[in-house]
Amino acid sequence: ATDSHSKMLKYRCSGCIAVGKSLNSRNFSKLLHSCPYQCDRHKVIVEAEDRYKSELRKSLICNKKILLTPRRRRQLSSES
Amino acid sequence: MFQGQRGWFCGSVGGELRQFWVAEGGSISDPRAADFLFSCDASHPDTLRIYQSLDYIEDNATVFHAYYLSAVANAEVKNSVALGHFILPPACLQKEIRRKLGNFIWEQDQHFQIEKHDEV
Ligand SMILES: [Zn+2]
Repeated sequence: ATDSHSKMLKYRCSGCIAVGKSLNSRNFSKLLHSCPYQCDRHKVIVEAEDRYKSELRKSLICNKKILLTPRRRRQLSSES
Repeated sequence: MFQGQRGWFCGSVGGELRQFWVAEGGSISDPRAADFLFSCDASHPDTLRIYQSLDYIEDNATVFHAYYLSAVANAEVKNSVALGHFILPPACLQKEIRRKLGNFIWEQDQHFQIEKHDEV
């Protein structure tokens, strides 16, 4: 039973059935994220990419803090 | 097929795929303005820049393998090719994805070349 169930789900994955002009690099990720019936293939890729993105986000925030500190210091010293 | 669409191409993409894009009505643009981002190599510096961009982090930039274009070129019905099968994830994720799912679609098929009918 679960087999036919997963088969049905497989063919409803938005990432797999959507073809044609409307899809592009800008909306594809959002389409996949909003699809409740992701196939195994798209699920694995989305999970991996999401992990990568959240790590990048974290490191961006860290970098920003490091970059901001000396600049602010310089600004302060030029003001005085 | 690609009338009015703007495409960005990584330096890793061969000339014939770009030519096909243009021949099908697409135009070439910079990565920020592009509707489509194409690459043949996730570890190429051009493509790495996309993966590190805010657009990518915010889910606004999916990179597709440019073999999508040759799949379109070789398909009998051009718009029957599922773009979604050609997602190109960052190189550091590919090993893990391959372990779970097997080879990517562009690795499975060696026939992703645009046939040149005038050459025999
Ligand atoms: Zn799918």
